[in-house]
Amino acid sequence: MNDHDDILIRCHELTKHYRRGDRTVTPLQALDLLVSRGEYLALMGPSGSGKTTLLNLVAGIDSPSEGKLEVCGQDLTQLSRGRLARWRAHHVGYIFQLYHLVPVLTAFENVELPLLLDDLSRRERRERVESTLALVGLDDRMHHFPRELSGGQEQRVAIARALVGSPELLVADEPTGDLDREAADAVLGLLRSLSREYGKTIVMVTHDPRAAQAADRILHLEKGRLLEQEGA
Amino acid sequence: MLPLGYAIRNLFRDPTRLLQAVLGSALVVLMVMVAAAINGGMKDVLSASGSPDNVLLLGAGSEESVLRSEIAERSAGIAETSLAGLSVVAGIRAVSPEVHQMAFLSVSKDDRRQAFVRGVTPRALLVHRETVVQQGRFPESGEIMAGRLAWKRLGFPVDTFTPGARVFFEDIPVNVSGVFAAPGTVMESEIWMPLGDLRSLSLRENLSCVVLRLGEGAFEDVDLFTKQRLDLELSALRESDYFAGLSVFYAPVRGMAWMTALLIATGAVLGGLNTLYAAFAPRIREIAALQAIGFGRGPIMFSFVQESTLACLCGTLLAALVAIWCVDGIAVSFSIGSFVLRVTPQVAVTGLVTGLMLGILGAIPPGLRCLLPPLPSALRSAG
Repeated sequence: MNDHDDILIRCHELTKHYRRGDRTVTPLQALDLLVSRGEYLALMGPSGSGKTTLLNLVAGIDSPSEGKLEVCGQDLTQLSRGRLARWRAHHVGYIFQLYHLVPVLTAFENVELPLLLDDLSRRERRERVESTLALVGLDDRMHHFPRELSGGQEQRVAIARALVGSPELLVADEPTGDLDREAADAVLGLLRSLSREYGKTIVMVTHDPRAAQAADRILHLEKGRLLEQEGA
Repeated sequence: MLPLGYAIRNLFRDPTRLLQAVLGSALVVLMVMVAAAINGGMKDVLSASGSPDNVLLLGAGSEESVLRSEIAERSAGIAETSLAGLSVVAGIRAVSPEVHQMAFLSVSKDDRRQAFVRGVTPRALLVHRETVVQQGRFPESGEIMAGRLAWKRLGFPVDTFTPGARVFFEDIPVNVSGVFAAPGTVMESEIWMPLGDLRSLSLRENLSCVVLRLGEGAFEDVDLFTKQRLDLELSALRESDYFAGLSVFYAPVRGMAWMTALLIATGAVLGGLNTLYAAFAPRIREIAALQAIGFGRGPIMFSFVQESTLACLCGTLLAALVAIWCVDGIAVSFSIGSFVLRVTPQVAVTGLVTGLMLGILGAIPPGLRCLLPPLPSALRSAG
């Protein structure tokens, strides 16, 4: 594998503007960043520093105003909203701070959702969902609704949902922000093992230095610019 | 595609909103079904009232209203003897001289109602073949016979025209000799009395019209007769064409029924849209999460449509049951007659299509309001 193949995320002069009333806000300004395959990256910074904006851009949730953005070999600036949605379905697993599980679906059905976008048989879907729920340690909770699970269990279901489609990239926005310490440790341990044992590339936004310590590299952002980076 | 179970379970997230959506759509569908039943009933009664085998001889220039028509009494005899090809029953040619007019009928001195009265001879039964005397007998002098829906049309109690009862025709007492049926026609709302009595009471020497029933003859022969006998000042019109003209005349009334239904339905639709938006809006963040997973707007909108359509179809079912139990069979009166509201297959299909359209189109505006916000802000919304 050469250097080019080893890079999963490539940002060059990445800028995001949006209008708020008469003002133009620039949460991200001319940012250059390379993220290798299998790397576990933590983004830190104060509120409004641009870390969630950067996360949304690399996940294909948002589109840059200027600059180049290539993720999983795809120039995301060239994709329409519909094609971006299909690209996300195959390449990105998104883990939200508040889990964002569908309350009327069971853990099994929530995890199954991304697989409904592919042409898989019911049996194939069942096998993949069951094995993924087993991976996150929830094979005994698969028919429970989110309201019947603890916060930590809900987040593990959300991680299973992000993982089940075998995406190359996992993005996590404050994945432990709503959890107690014990549950947070379990989730961080799970993310760490996904990085180490399964080679997943993970980009995680966090305010928690303990959570960031689990990453291979920590980036600090402020006012939309990269301040410093450190190896964990 | 999102599973159908997602749409079904979303329906039951808020039972109050589900009830509102079901009742709102039921109201709209019921209004449309009633309007369709009124429209269909009025059209049907007017089209069934005119037989294509009957020809009306009216006064020239009065083709639009038999009430305004005046023709010479001798026209009936001349037509009977001059025209070949008329229907013959038991050796009698089917020619019915008639007087049609509006007159006051009452059951007591201070309760006068305006009735459509037809002065006839027994020959009327030869041309109006659908007419059957159901109770009693054909009227003789000093008597009347009522159509079976006349009580409804006039707003009298249902037993007003029981044979043997007494009513007042322009304040003159007359006895009820019988009740007749003429299914699906405006005649069922009429009062029939002997031609001679009506002409005497209304001081009238002429006729309103002569009704001929064609046998082997053609309408063109009758038309030619009226053009040859200019001295009689007649005009020939198929009875079916006469009632088709009346149907056109009453189109605005049917339009009013639709308009009333539309106005009520508009209010209910706006309420329904509000209910659906209230049902979808708290899910903006969940919907954004589905988009983040990779679901496009199309499948999510389709799920909204499924959810809304299921609620509206429940409403449609409720409306259909109410229509069958409470609307079917109700007699409705208009100026020249009455008809019975029927939940026909056509009315039922109209209701079903309305319910489906409500479900499909009703989900789109609130669905778009939930799907249009940019994904990053939708993910951060308070939903």
